[in-house]
Amino acid sequence: MENWKQNPRVFWTLGIPPSVWLLAFFIIPLGFLFVMSFSDKAIVDGQVSITGYDYLTGFTNYIRAFDPLYLGIMWKSVWISALATALCLLTAYPIAFGICFAKDKWKPLLLLLVVLPFWINLLIRTYALIAVFRTQGYLNKILGWVGLGPYEMLYNNFAVVFGLVYVYMPFMVLPLYATIERLDKSYLEASLDLGGSQFQTFMRVTVPLTMPGIVSGVILVFIPCLGSFLTPDLLGGANALMIGNVIERQFKAANDWPFGAALSFLLMYATFGALALRYLFSLRSKGVDV
Amino acid sequence: MTTFRPRFRPNRRSVLQGAGALFAGLTLLPRFSLAAEEKKLNFYNWDTYIGENTLAEFTDATGIEVKMDLYADNDELFAKLKGGNPGYDVIVPTNDYLERMIKADMVIPLDHSRIPNMSNIDTLFQDAQFDPGRKYSIPYMWGTVGIGFRKSAVSATPDSWKVLLDSDEYAGAISMLGDQQNVLGAGLKYLGYSLNSTNADELRKVEDLLIAQKKNIKVFAPDNGQDLLASGEVKLCQEWNGDIKQVMAEDEDLDFIVPKEGSLVWQDTLAVPKGAPHPENAMAFLNFILDAKEGAGIASTIQYATTNKAAKELMPAEYQNNPVIFPPADVLIKCEPNLYLGEEAIKQRDEILTRIRAS
Amino acid sequence: MAARLKPGQGPLDYGSRLWLRLLFAAIFFVLYAPIITLVAFSFNTDKRGVVWRGFTLDNYARAWNNASLIEALTNSLVIAVIATVFATVLGALTALLMWRFRFPLKGAYEGFMALPIVIPEICMGVALLLFFVNSGMMEFFVHMPWPLNLGNIIFAHVTFCFPFVAVVVRSRLVGFNRQLEEASKDLGASEWQTFWSIIVPFMKPGLIAGALLAFTLSLDDFVITFFTSGPETVTFPVKVYSLVRRGVSPEINAASTVLIVITVVATVLAMKLQAPPRADKG
Repeated sequence: MENWKQNPRVFWTLGIPPSVWLLAFFIIPLGFLFVMSFSDKAIVDGQVSITGYDYLTGFTNYIRAFDPLYLGIMWKSVWISALATALCLLTAYPIAFGICFAKDKWKPLLLLLVVLPFWINLLIRTYALIAVFRTQGYLNKILGWVGLGPYEMLYNNFAVVFGLVYVYMPFMVLPLYATIERLDKSYLEASLDLGGSQFQTFMRVTVPLTMPGIVSGVILVFIPCLGSFLTPDLLGGANALMIGNVIERQFKAANDWPFGAALSFLLMYATFGALALRYLFSLRSKGVDV
Repeated sequence: MTTFRPRFRPNRRSVLQGAGALFAGLTLLPRFSLAAEEKKLNFYNWDTYIGENTLAEFTDATGIEVKMDLYADNDELFAKLKGGNPGYDVIVPTNDYLERMIKADMVIPLDHSRIPNMSNIDTLFQDAQFDPGRKYSIPYMWGTVGIGFRKSAVSATPDSWKVLLDSDEYAGAISMLGDQQNVLGAGLKYLGYSLNSTNADELRKVEDLLIAQKKNIKVFAPDNGQDLLASGEVKLCQEWNGDIKQVMAEDEDLDFIVPKEGSLVWQDTLAVPKGAPHPENAMAFLNFILDAKEGAGIASTIQYATTNKAAKELMPAEYQNNPVIFPPADVLIKCEPNLYLGEEAIKQRDEILTRIRAS
Repeated sequence: MAARLKPGQGPLDYGSRLWLRLLFAAIFFVLYAPIITLVAFSFNTDKRGVVWRGFTLDNYARAWNNASLIEALTNSLVIAVIATVFATVLGALTALLMWRFRFPLKGAYEGFMALPIVIPEICMGVALLLFFVNSGMMEFFVHMPWPLNLGNIIFAHVTFCFPFVAVVVRSRLVGFNRQLEEASKDLGASEWQTFWSIIVPFMKPGLIAGALLAFTLSLDDFVITFFTSGPETVTFPVKVYSLVRRGVSPEINAASTVLIVITVVATVLAMKLQAPPRADKG
């Protein structure tokens, strides 16, 4: 990696367009909500105002977010998302691996096949999923022919995890594909030639070499899972409530934008911290940039 | 105090428009003021919530082209307009949201002189608690919330909220709506309180009741209880009458009842949001909607209860006498409209719902 | 660059292993079961699509004659295509920057770049709504003729898509052998020539994957689109969300099927068109 001072012209050419874009259409808009997360609804004539705010009044919204009620929901969101991410990785890795080791002419087609289901609207797809897996659904009907079931597969936490895996699969497959594709196969051959078993080769050569893709995939799946609200809403049972649902309600039904903003920013601070950690690690293990 | 609001930006176009409107206002000639507005109208509505040919007929009659955009619920409408009206002329909020918008100064008063068809409105709806004198809105459709159920799967007609909220009989075969108003509202009604209660004691009792009952509730469905009922996933569901009526048309084993403790009665309204670029056209549109024949056209497409007396009279008897659309008077008398309770109360009730869901 | 293995029954020929094929089949079955029912039921005569009543093409006819549905589909496709192009370029630039240079506060920069991925959609939707309305951009674009009135939505989509592209492309770039680049420069190639003939071909799988992801994200987005749209800019997801609450109609199934077919044909064509000039695309 070169220092930016060595080639400032290229540095600025690469850096300016995305930075300006992000600043204009993300950082500045987000500034509104950042300010709001430290604000409160205004009190007008003893009544809480509907649209007015008292700006920068303090940390009340953040303090409220640390109420055990919300911490509990956050914790639940974290483990559901973690479980979904892990399952996603376990299923996506073989897919990406298989695509990369398929014949060249099949690769684009297979890749397309993976992405295709996701070009159907999320809501329609979720409804279709419900039609297949519900108690009177097609799967149970088929199982019924061989004398099994019916099983209750929906409206519980497992259904939420399954739904999340289903929704975020391509976010895992695509970065994995991009890294496994460039895996130098001679390393695998070397490992096998030197007497390593297929499993050893996989765990000690393939996985470390494709770690950047795994990390990217995990980030791309875990984080959106945390904020999801539609999947728990439609597939979850009576206690399926994730932090995404709470945030969504603050911006809509509860009309409490400051609190919604504070909860959202907490999610962002956490991610920011995680990414910073990752960067520090990459500094320490010089050269191996993940 | 400052607010995020669409600031008035005097560009050339709006200055011209403003001058045109001013001129029209001075001359007091309606014809002129109509000419000052382009022949367009942006209607912000629920999907399929208008007569099949209503918009085309309006264009034929007035030359005003209507463009209908869509939202899925009141919360979305409110959140979006709170940020600023990007150019909608007519919106369709439900009564409590209208009340909130009136209080937040987000809708403009109607020009009643331009809406002579208001005389077609049923006397019941001529005035409204949430909009005294109908200053800001005209009524559109109304309805109730009750229990949709599968006749062959229940031991007796579920005429009380008890079966949903305080009984193990249908454990795991119940769905409730997902918003605080209806979840807490049903509980409040069952315990004999007002649907609009903000009394902490009463709300606590409802919270306890629902937390105890949660093990029997399969799902808090956002708005798809009728699908769950139709597909046999649940035996009972709390739902809007219109939604259940839709599935009843395809499955004779389904029915709908408003519990004897009473329930919520809602009313959708048409209003003009602040910052609407074509307010004159909006008034003409509201008047057109209230026309008897158009009202009947709308009612026969939507199959909800119309608030338009003249339109109702044009409808066939099977619509007029349908107990799902028009619940009997003795049931209605126990129902309450949902009121706007103020921001603090909404926040409180939202937190109660969160506690129930997370428990 | 990756050594290419000749097809055959070598130890690395995972593509022909039975267990991998079975696993593939199982995963694809789960992935496609709902889609297949959806497509099948777009030919169903039953209105609610609960049971099979008979074959019909009526749903397609009705979808075709439903002007608002067609308009929504067109809007969505236009937005997705334009947003994908911009997002891919911006994402690739970001990835190159992060991959090539060391600079102060890089960690923080990376964190900021990842924020659009992290932020709950509704939060970003509301933030952009406030921004567009207060900056006058909403007012400005609303009065533009089609497709410029989709401007705000496109800006929003590019913003939440390009960090995803950046992550994908970057994970691809990590394995690049920098000696190739140096060799190219030693041989007298300019920065620009090196970029086009060495780096871009290497990035290509990452670019394709990133673009696919961006397209998928854009096509499916509801929340942010809802908050950034003005009048006359209904997109397919917005249409679906307001319609589906009243029950999924087979018309929507038909439209979804058409959407899949269009996107597949377009992608296959695009792949065919760009394939011949380069036999080996590394």
